[in-house]
Amino acid sequence: MNDSVLVLSIVSAIAAGTPILFASLGEIMAERSGVMNLGVEGMMLVGGVTGFWAGIQTENLGLALLAGALAGAALSLIHAFLAISLRVNQIVSGLALVIVGNGFSAFWGNSGDSPLIQRQSGVDVDPFLPSAWRDLPGLGPILFGHDAVVYFSWLVVAGAGYFLFRTTPGLGLRATGEDPAAADAAGLSVTRIRYLFTFLGGLGAGFGGAYLALAVLRTWQAGMTAGAGWIAVALVILAGWRPWLALVAAYGFGALRNLGFTLQIAGVDVPSDFLAMIPFVATYLVVIVASANPARARKIIGPAALGEPYSREAR
Amino acid sequence: MTIRLSVVPRAAPPPALRIGVPFASLLAAGVVGGSILVIAGNSPLDAYETMFDASLNGLRPLMRTLTLATPLILTGLAAAITFRMKIWNIGAEGQLYMGAIAASGLAVALPASSPRPVMLLSILLAGAGAGAVWAGLAAIPKAYLNTDEVITTLMLNFIALSLMNYLIFGSASFWRDSAATFPTGKAIPESAELPVLSHRLHYGVLIAVVSAVVLWWVLRRTSWGFELRTIGDSRKASRYAGMRVGPKVVSVLALSGALAGGAGAIEISGVIKGLDPRAVAAELGFTGIVVAAVARLNPLAVVPVATFLAAIVTSGSSLQRIGIETEIVFLLQGLIFLFVAAGDFFLVNKVILRPRPSPALVDGGEPTDE
Amino acid sequence: MHTDEEPILQIRELTKSFYGVAANNRVSFDLYAGEVHGLLGENGAGKSTLCSILAGLYRPDSGEVALDGDAVTLRSPQDAAHAGIGMVYQHFRLVSSMTVAENMILGLENQSVRLSLRSVETKVAEIAGGYGLEVDPGAYVWQLSVGEQQRVEILRQLLRGARIMILDEPTAVLAPQECDKLFVVVRQMARQGHSVVLVSHKMEEILANTDRVTVLRQGRNAATVATSETSAEELVTMVIGGDHFPEPGRLTARRQDGTAAVLAVSGLRVTGDRGPLAVDGVSFEVRPGQIVGVAGVAGNGQRELQESIAGLRPVSSGSVWIGDRDVTSRSPRSRSRAGLSYVPEDRLGTGLASGLTLEENLVLKSYNEAPYSRWGVLSRRAIASMADKLSAQFDVRGARAKMPVSSMSGGNLQKAVLARELTRPHTVLLAAQPTRGLDLAASAAVRSHILSETAKGRGVLLFSEDLAEITELSDSILVMSQGRIVGSYTPETLDVEELGLLMTGAKVEIE
Repeated sequence: MNDSVLVLSIVSAIAAGTPILFASLGEIMAERSGVMNLGVEGMMLVGGVTGFWAGIQTENLGLALLAGALAGAALSLIHAFLAISLRVNQIVSGLALVIVGNGFSAFWGNSGDSPLIQRQSGVDVDPFLPSAWRDLPGLGPILFGHDAVVYFSWLVVAGAGYFLFRTTPGLGLRATGEDPAAADAAGLSVTRIRYLFTFLGGLGAGFGGAYLALAVLRTWQAGMTAGAGWIAVALVILAGWRPWLALVAAYGFGALRNLGFTLQIAGVDVPSDFLAMIPFVATYLVVIVASANPARARKIIGPAALGEPYSREAR
Repeated sequence: MTIRLSVVPRAAPPPALRIGVPFASLLAAGVVGGSILVIAGNSPLDAYETMFDASLNGLRPLMRTLTLATPLILTGLAAAITFRMKIWNIGAEGQLYMGAIAASGLAVALPASSPRPVMLLSILLAGAGAGAVWAGLAAIPKAYLNTDEVITTLMLNFIALSLMNYLIFGSASFWRDSAATFPTGKAIPESAELPVLSHRLHYGVLIAVVSAVVLWWVLRRTSWGFELRTIGDSRKASRYAGMRVGPKVVSVLALSGALAGGAGAIEISGVIKGLDPRAVAAELGFTGIVVAAVARLNPLAVVPVATFLAAIVTSGSSLQRIGIETEIVFLLQGLIFLFVAAGDFFLVNKVILRPRPSPALVDGGEPTDE
Repeated sequence: MHTDEEPILQIRELTKSFYGVAANNRVSFDLYAGEVHGLLGENGAGKSTLCSILAGLYRPDSGEVALDGDAVTLRSPQDAAHAGIGMVYQHFRLVSSMTVAENMILGLENQSVRLSLRSVETKVAEIAGGYGLEVDPGAYVWQLSVGEQQRVEILRQLLRGARIMILDEPTAVLAPQECDKLFVVVRQMARQGHSVVLVSHKMEEILANTDRVTVLRQGRNAATVATSETSAEELVTMVIGGDHFPEPGRLTARRQDGTAAVLAVSGLRVTGDRGPLAVDGVSFEVRPGQIVGVAGVAGNGQRELQESIAGLRPVSSGSVWIGDRDVTSRSPRSRSRAGLSYVPEDRLGTGLASGLTLEENLVLKSYNEAPYSRWGVLSRRAIASMADKLSAQFDVRGARAKMPVSSMSGGNLQKAVLARELTRPHTVLLAAQPTRGLDLAASAAVRSHILSETAKGRGVLLFSEDLAEITELSDSILVMSQGRIVGSYTPETLDVEELGLLMTGAKVEIE
């Protein structure tokens, strides 16, 4: 494998990993508050269809991504209401969200006189830094060859890490996920924090879904995430609920997704169905290996109150 | 005067609510789904009428619905028994694919002249076994390493899908019919087909219904079922009582996989009659989760609920005639799931509205108004 | 002291119900500045509910809370903090995976967005110095002893400017010497003008440390008196309302020396949830007809010891014998077949499965044995008739046999556990906190059941944080501290003062 293949595969891994990264970051924030939202796949699909539609309407990337993010967040509020206010089992509610998101996006995308499924996205998502930088050998494309959203994602990773571990509200967020009764007694509003960060989780998933449709696939089709949302949920565990590890993991999985492309360039012939399997096999194995290592297992159990509804008057 | 909303848990829901709440949830899903249709420029009443005609009105539609209900009963049971134990097997979809692969493979491998009972029994067992093994790939890490089964079962779904695609679209495998121009699976011999009851409805429906009744009985009346319910209720109490949780997780997940794998075999034998990935990958496993949730994990209730959801799915294609996209049925399914999940709140809690005598003590804060 | 001034806190006719049962029924209460006010009552008398209302956790169904004469609404803990009410819960509300300083800053107002622990640390050190409440702000809460955690809770309230400090059963988890230290702090807070509400069910503690005392009985006011004008006898009558419960009969000379032990633990080492050893080389024996009591402050390895005897927690080294069988590496079920009955600390959740019915819970350990099941099929008739018999024999009330046990009261839950554990064939009973949270009548019933075990020649290993219960029931007392047995007594050699020192780990007995 020569240099340019390596560089190219890193660049494409970053592109393929970015939608998953946004979804994972959102889910990390939601789970840090104690709310597990398995509906990421559904929120990404709804974000994708909304973002794609908004892209055609506005021809503006920023507005399209914003619309996608808000759509994902709107869906997450349904989960928030069920999981936080109605104290419904969070796994059940999350699964329901996937099915609703899947059905809604497929229905919308295929309906109408000119369904989205036949359209081009109509917004530009291209590298924007000076081409002289991008053409630097080796690191040039890796550091400077991306569209603006990738740089935005780096900012978000840094911001999320700073927020979680270096700010007072971040401390409150972590406390809410660890021990809601203690957070409540300390004067924090568990309900408000959980709603807020579940909403933020939806923003991340919707944004990731919109970016996937607009910039990575550049078309829309029903079920276009093909499991990316589930990978995002798995990455949260693998990353130990830490934003910068989510970035590493997302790019790793981006690389696995593009392995077929890379191998083709390298002249290796592997059936495409096996290549499609790789990210899923890898996630399956990594989740098992992570839980097999007791020292790591203790660390990756995540927020202590994850998935547990909180009720002040529960006796 | 302010009215305050208070929520009080109840020990056990009254029987009227146990029926009433799910129906109210269905109604709410229908209303929300209808509203979306209105927004999309369609008439919900026309849509629901068309759906009713296409799925339940008349022998032929009814038989079509029951044909689809057959695998949904089995995948619904598969989800229900693991959810009962608070094990979240989301993998019925993949377990069903593996069952279909094993059953179709064995059906074309065995001599076509084999007696039908031998053939049917072999392929059903092969399907169930393959499903059980596939579930075991999630069960063993769950039982002994406490690996998150939601993630593993899901990943196994995608892996099974790719494997099935590979066997037909990606290779000249044993399953693929090399004579056909388009990639397609070899047709199974007639001796491997489930006999037909009426129209397209095959004997598989009896297998499904009998499974539901047997499972219901096993859960209530056997020590195996007692252990399952105890573990589902409290891990700690079951360990304290001397139950071995690990092996139980494996056996329940394996049974769940066998039910889903059996559904795959029955689909091959009774409906698809050869490995066709597009026909097998019909979200039967995921819909089973909705079935189980709406049936509130009761095996007997799985039968009517599966039939109802099958009616919705079956009628999807008829909607295109009146200009509505088929995908609305998936949306409806999701809404039903959502509202039934929300409805659970009203089964485990009592919501009381009561006037507060002293307005000075209440203003804003929690949701207080109605 | 407070005769002319206005009370800083007044509670008028407060009512709060759970599940249709009034936990507080028109309760009224006054508190003056600089006063230590005892709130006395049995478990379930409504003390904790009243505290939770003052802390802003529960909202009353009716009634009024007034501060400095003005009615206030306490909608949340934040409101209570603004009002200057600081609550130290019996079960501390600290995030155990976080440090002391992080817990202090949690929910504190006027903090910069940027997390700065330094400023809080200096303020904490200032306040801590004034009261002699030293804690290491950088330590993780899970590393602290229970007494230290309590100091963190008190400091946190002082840091927030609490002028009313509510201490809910503060001594329940402390060794006697730590209690003394606590009351020094309480007195000092009162001298500096704070008001302290001391919630307790211990008579001596109230008599020794309060200015006035309010007694609650069954959710209602029983009386409010000046402490100097009352006596223990008078308070007891107010607490139990004139009813008298028989003391369990004292049996003497139950010990049968020379017989083989029914339970023998030797050199046992067990790791805790967090990694280090929780039980560190424990050895003892329980003989037929003997009650061995294990005294100790909570969190010193008792739970891990119980779980490892029952087979719920693996052992690092050492052995457990039940009768003549080495069960060290055997399953919980084979231990129970070898003759172990176990009444766990956690009744609902471990001892009973809350969603199962009473009759199902009564066969929790025998569901797979005849006559309750044959060939794997349950016999509903056999189970129902056994449930009827046991419910009558053990006076289990308030539950229908086919309803989930979660609707039963604490006393009936414990009776159900005892009914199951005492009627199955066994040679040794392991009982952990058997009367915690029960009212006097239920406690007396449970104690007499435990005593009756000895008459049947069975051995009992009793864990209790209630020292009085241990000394009253046991033939032999072991003291557990930091995972070790640090002392042992017989009723004749018992020295409560020394025992208290041993519990805190302050003194290592020299043989």
